[in-house]
Amino acid sequence: MSIRIQRIMNSLEKAYTGPVCSVKEWDTKIIPRTIKAKLKEHRLENTMDLDNPINCDDDLADAFFKAGYELALEMGLLCTDTERIIKVTEKELQESLREYPEEVKFGRGKDQVIMRPRKPESEIEPIVCASLGIVVSEELYVPITEGLIKYPKLVDVLHGPTLATVYGKEVRSGTPYETLMGRYETELRRQATIRAEREGIGHTGIAGAVTHYGHLGGAAFFPGEGNNTMSLCPVELKTSMSNFHRIIMGINCGHNIRAGGFSYIGGYAGPAEGAILANIATDLLLPVILQATYVSSYVYDLQLFGNCGRKAVWANSVAIQAVSRNTNIMRNKIVNETAGPCTEMFLYEAAVGLMNHCVSGSSKTTQPRSAGGRYTDYLTPMEAWWCGEVFKSCAGMTRKHANEIAKKILPKYEDKLANPDKGYSVRECFDLENMRPTPEYEALYNRVRDELIELGMPLDKVYWTK
Amino acid sequence: MKDQLFERLSNAIAEGEVEEAVVIVKEGLDAGIPPLEIMEEGGTKGLQLVSQRFSEGTAFLPELMLAGDAMTELLALVLDKIGDEGASERLGKVVIGQVKGDLHDIGKNVVSALLSVNGFEVYDLGVDVEPKAFIDKAKEVGASIIASSTLLTTSMPYQKDIVDYLKDVGLRDKFFCVVGGGPVTPDWAEKIGADGYGRNATDAVELCKRLVKSGSAPGAKTEIVDLAQI
Repeated sequence: MSIRIQRIMNSLEKAYTGPVCSVKEWDTKIIPRTIKAKLKEHRLENTMDLDNPINCDDDLADAFFKAGYELALEMGLLCTDTERIIKVTEKELQESLREYPEEVKFGRGKDQVIMRPRKPESEIEPIVCASLGIVVSEELYVPITEGLIKYPKLVDVLHGPTLATVYGKEVRSGTPYETLMGRYETELRRQATIRAEREGIGHTGIAGAVTHYGHLGGAAFFPGEGNNTMSLCPVELKTSMSNFHRIIMGINCGHNIRAGGFSYIGGYAGPAEGAILANIATDLLLPVILQATYVSSYVYDLQLFGNCGRKAVWANSVAIQAVSRNTNIMRNKIVNETAGPCTEMFLYEAAVGLMNHCVSGSSKTTQPRSAGGRYTDYLTPMEAWWCGEVFKSCAGMTRKHANEIAKKILPKYEDKLANPDKGYSVRECFDLENMRPTPEYEALYNRVRDELIELGMPLDKVYWTK
Repeated sequence: MKDQLFERLSNAIAEGEVEEAVVIVKEGLDAGIPPLEIMEEGGTKGLQLVSQRFSEGTAFLPELMLAGDAMTELLALVLDKIGDEGASERLGKVVIGQVKGDLHDIGKNVVSALLSVNGFEVYDLGVDVEPKAFIDKAKEVGASIIASSTLLTTSMPYQKDIVDYLKDVGLRDKFFCVVGGGPVTPDWAEKIGADGYGRNATDAVELCKRLVKSGSAPGAKTEIVDLAQI
């Protein structure tokens, strides 16, 4: 038995034998009370600094880490199917941190890239994966995906959009349609990588696998190291048998495991400070409990259902810095834009969020979430290219500098976050035949880009693709 | 004394202290305070308080959910005392859930809690709920509204299944069907013949209020509530 299987079976066993706790009790009492007490004990209540959305205080980040570390050991993860808590000992946690990989490889051959741990203000180039699971029409899947990965300098790894239909039939989650979609998505992705001449690019999960069925249907068609299984846990500090299904299948296929979970400001963890603690605990627990090769967890704002507002920017900056400064855990951090393609607002949201995640020490991002992922076909390659340009170009910036820029950009869009600009569908603002934006979108892109360079964002440093 | 008790009760509800709220209600009933006055001056004010704090970002989802639980307990005690007279204080019964294949429940939980604190009797079926389970529960409890939510495009067809099933078994005029969730749009609500769509949790509450007060039969039209667009 491999060590990975041995360890995941250890967690599975705990999911059937750990202390009993109902989901309701966990969500409404255990989580809020424990986090509130932990914030008080470490004097972290009311530390949010909205005047400085990107944290520059190392002591604060370290204090949050200490509290988050304790929280991880006190809480563990609740398995929602068995309603038992999977606890970890400090010895197990320390062992997991000691044995954590020094790098993770994505892809193979000329398309291989290597992800490494990054500290705040690191000059190491972070990894960009495109896109998030935005739904696209079946006939547009291949050209959009080809466009997303057109520029190797900007996009390193492929996750891809989500299919609206499979062979013309609606994909229904948790049914054989989803299982069928798993395989079908891998075929379409392969076509796209051939068209883009990037056959060796690393793949992250099955984008349309909203339950484990899609994953079980498709994972085996992207075998081996360099590819990844994605397993997102329920909010907050919870896991499920669906997560275990995906991970065990991923281990069977020799994949890296990307496990994640959200923490919500205003949710079970309470205020922004509470969401930070929950996020740090999630980052620490997923490698040890779910054998995550790297973690994909981040803070959202429940009121805005995104994380480009001031509170979430600050919370993510502290949470990322806390873990970056004190461990080598590599993290994929997502910016959840709310505005759609071909809008100024999208470009600003992505710029602030990605600059923040980059300077705070995130190793990877998956982008974009155009229009919050609400509308079919509201995704074009341009958003992914923009995200790649910003995220990679900001490597080496200081947090202080980034904070000053963020303070200037945030007022340009934050009033609209509750009612963001919808933008345009791919057919309206991008020419998929020639892989070019419409002249209007190109002009908008260049105008905002020039404006941000003027503000001090180093976009002219390397990745200009005009 | 009465005012103090009402204040203690509204605070207990707003803080999500279910057990404490129950003790205070019993204390009030034992002291001879009219049950409906306890509900109105203590319970309802507590709910208003927690709703306001949630909007301002000073109260969070657990308080909202526990306030809903506290109000349910309070209502049971009051109904026990006065019989069906108090039932009119509730706006109606709502069966709510996250449709099949979808485990993302935080948005649905906000709606569920807000409906409860706004006077609806809420039956929350949780996540990954089969279409027929919504209907079975609505029949069982005599609900007037079936609310289905999803964050997943691939689970949206199940919202349509609920409406279609009701039509096929001749029950479409018995239940209002309302839909919501990240990728759900007004167009989708109209396309599947739902009775309503709310863009966020506050809109969902407003939508349910409008429907129960409308006097019209379910299945007649689609009501769209998007207060941010006004």
